[in-house]
Parts: sequence; C-alpha cells; structure tokens
Amino acid sequence: MSKIQDAVAELRHAPGVKGAAVVTDDGLVAASSVATGLDPDVISGLSSYLMMTTNRSLTEGNYGGCSKLLLNATHGKAVFVQLEDSYLVVLFDQFAEIDQADREVDDAVARIRRASRLA
Amino acid sequence: MHLIQRMKIWKELRRLEQRAKEQPSPSTFVDLGQVYINLDLHDKAERMADDGLALFPKSIELRQLLDCARRGLRHRRAQELRAKLTRSPSPKLFRELATIYLDLGDSNALHAVCQEWSLRFPEDSGSWLMLGQARLTSFYRDLAAREGQEAVQCLERAASMNPEEAQSRRLLGEVLYRIGAVHEAQKHITALRELDPADQEIEQLLSHVATLNDGGSDLSSLFDEVEAHGSLMHPTAQAAAPANTTERSFTDVRTGLARISELSGVSKAVFIRGSKAMVKGDIKDGRDPFLRIVRVTAKAAHRFARRLDIGNAAKTVIEGDFGQICICVYGEALAAAQCQEGAQIEQVLGELQEIVAGALHGVED
Repeated sequence: MSKIQDAVAELRHAPGVKGAAVVTDDGLVAASSVATGLDPDVISGLSSYLMMTTNRSLTEGNYGGCSKLLLNATHGKAVFVQLEDSYLVVLFDQFAEIDQADREVDDAVARIRRASRLA
Repeated sequence: MHLIQRMKIWKELRRLEQRAKEQPSPSTFVDLGQVYINLDLHDKAERMADDGLALFPKSIELRQLLDCARRGLRHRRAQELRAKLTRSPSPKLFRELATIYLDLGDSNALHAVCQEWSLRFPEDSGSWLMLGQARLTSFYRDLAAREGQEAVQCLERAASMNPEEAQSRRLLGEVLYRIGAVHEAQKHITALRELDPADQEIEQLLSHVATLNDGGSDLSSLFDEVEAHGSLMHPTAQAAAPANTTERSFTDVRTGLARISELSGVSKAVFIRGSKAMVKGDIKDGRDPFLRIVRVTAKAAHRFARRLDIGNAAKTVIEGDFGQICICVYGEALAAAQCQEGAQIEQVLGELQEIVAGALHGVED
C-alpha cells in the first residue's frame, strides 16, 4: 500500500496537480494526496458517481468500459484512469495543461498497477 | 517574502509584461495574469484579462483568467465588508456581502451572513430574499426537491414581510409555473402586475403562463416529480417563444455537424438542446446508445464539477476500446462526437465548441 501512496504523493508534485487519489470502484479511498481544502472522501464519492454512471451507460450501450476520462471545467480539470477494480483520479488547477502531465500520470499508473499486482 | 525574492518576482514580471507587448497571444496574457494573481494583484490580472480578451475574444483561457481575477477581487471586497460590518452593521452592507457570496457560490458563508443579518435586522426581508435566491440557484442547478421547497419557503417569507418588493414575487412566480404549479404562480405574477401595471414583461409572462397546464398546488409532490424526472415541467417564456434567431442558429449547427462528421476518424456527431437533437454520421435513430451515453456522461460530469466547486464541465473526453467520445457543453447546449483512431481530438473539440457557442449566441440574441 505504501508504494501506491508513494506514487500518488509523487504525482501530487507534478505541475498544476492539486490532488491525486486512488479510489476503489465502490468509492473507497485507497491512497490520496490532496491540497488543503480538498477532502479525499468528497473526491472519491463524486469520482465514483461519475465513473459508475459513465461506465454503466457505456456498458448498456455495448461500448465496453471507459479506460480514461478527461474533464475540463471552468475552474479546474480532472483525469480519471481505470485500474484493476479501482481508478486513479488526478485534479488539476484551471491553468494546467493536462498533456504536459501525461508522462507523470502514466508513470504513476504503471507504478500503481505494479504495486497492486505485487500486493 | 524577502527582498531578493521580491526583486526576482518583479524581474520576472517585467519580462512577462515585455513578452505580452511584443508577442501578444492568449498564453502570454494568461502567464502574466497568473503571476499577478499569485501576487494578490487581482485588479491588474483583471485588466490583463480584459486587454487579452479585446485581442482574442474567443480565448477560453483568458475568460478563465478574468473569472479567477474577479473571484479574487470579490474575496478581497468580502474581507473589507466583514471588517466594516464588525464596526457598524447595516442592512446595505449585509446585502452587498451576501451578494458577493452568492456570486462566488459560497453557500456556507452566505447562510452565515444571512443568519446574522436576520438576527440583527429581523424586520428586513433582504436576508430571506437572498437565501431564497441561493436555494433557487441550487435547485435550478441540481433539480433537488429539498432545495426547491426551501427556496419557496424563503421567498414566501420575504414576500410576506415586504409585499411591495417585486423580486421575491418574480422568482416565486417563475419557479412555481416551471414546476407545474401554474395557478399558484399566477397569483404571484398578478400581484407583481399590480405593483407595476406598465411593465410589458409581466404582461407577456402572464399570457405565457396562461397557456400552460396546471399540475396542481401540492408543491411537495411537484418538486419530487421534477427531481425524479430530472427536468422542469414547463419552459421559460423565452425558451418557448419561436424565434428566427433560434432557427438560424440551428442552420449553423447543421453546417457545423456536417463539417465535424467529415473530419478524419469521426463516425458520429450530435447536437442536443433540451429535448431536440440533431445528428450526423452513423446514427440510425433516437434510440442509438451514443445519444444516451453523451447525455448521461455530460450530466454526471456537470454534477461532479459543480459539487467539487470547479465550475461548469465544459469539455469531457471518454476513452475506451470504442475509441474516444468528445463532449462539449455550454449552458443547455451539448455537442458530441465519436472518434476512432486517427482523429484529431483537439480539432474535434474545437469544432464542437464552435457549435455550442454559436447555438448559445443564437439564444442570447
């Protein structure tokens, strides 16, 4: 678990990242590192709602699952990457370029997947 | 911050100012504005965003910068008002502070201010009106029955405390007819007309409401129905009125959708506003799952962003084995496209944004 936490904590230091968390499909926080003012439980609850709703509509339409979701809002951005039975949530500030943090996100995903398999 | 740090920052600022003058682009203005914001110089950041928007009026980043700068200015003004209220409280100051919190969407602070306001000035109906407005905004956003009922209670209290005040009756009238309580709404709108018989807008509103079906006066069950269906029973007068501009904007939408569906890698494209949808590409009928997926995801993304207080979800991209689904939302207008390998996602999102912005502009006209 500490390796997953380390990966999340490291990702938190990427440019523009306000917070990152690994959330299980049923909305529990497995690891998190977020800026002051952000509540990991709120993030996990909302992320779980968004991912479940999206995945359900995709599955019902025979589209398969969602592997990644990018959300660009007025005052912030978010990326969700599907892992095994969980997903990585990364929150960015409004001025961040998500593309520039792609490498860091991919690295974190690879580390979390590796750590999950070992566990 | 010590002297050397300050000198470094000012040096960086001068460099960015020079760059903004020599190479004006949205990113140079945004970089400079961000430094101003970090230095708490929100007024300068606002001016920078205004200057940038004069040159690049379509830049979303500059609009975001302007929004951020204005939020900072409002926070500062709120602090000033707090200090003034401690020294000499007055309904005027409470109203200004509550309006700022309403604009900022800070409902906890707004409730605290209104509570203090009503305790200090129990005869003033302003606090109830402000609370009602906040609850109403929240109701229109999430269509949550509880918020709607509380909004009506607050507004009714404001209207009974100050029967000469038009705003509470106007808001009450609108929310009531929109959920289906048409006869109840008519009472408030008629009272509004008595306050200002010369107002043509009220006359138009009355004639619009007269054409609607009444769903009864049990507000609790009407609000529950709205929450269950996820939509209001009746549209506003503006939305219901057939307009040439709307037709024109739909022609633009059709052209835009055709352009998107011709892009490499795009298989489906759709534009949705309210119950109307326009499709292009590989979509057989209204039961195509793609339509449901974009609607459901856009709504979930909207709720996610609003609840997390990061504004409105403007663009969403879903990736999977099926390729990518790009969704762009502005207000009630939604445009989406399904892309396969080889599609230029940024280009598709740009085109979708043009469609929704154009449609929105048509409605605003």
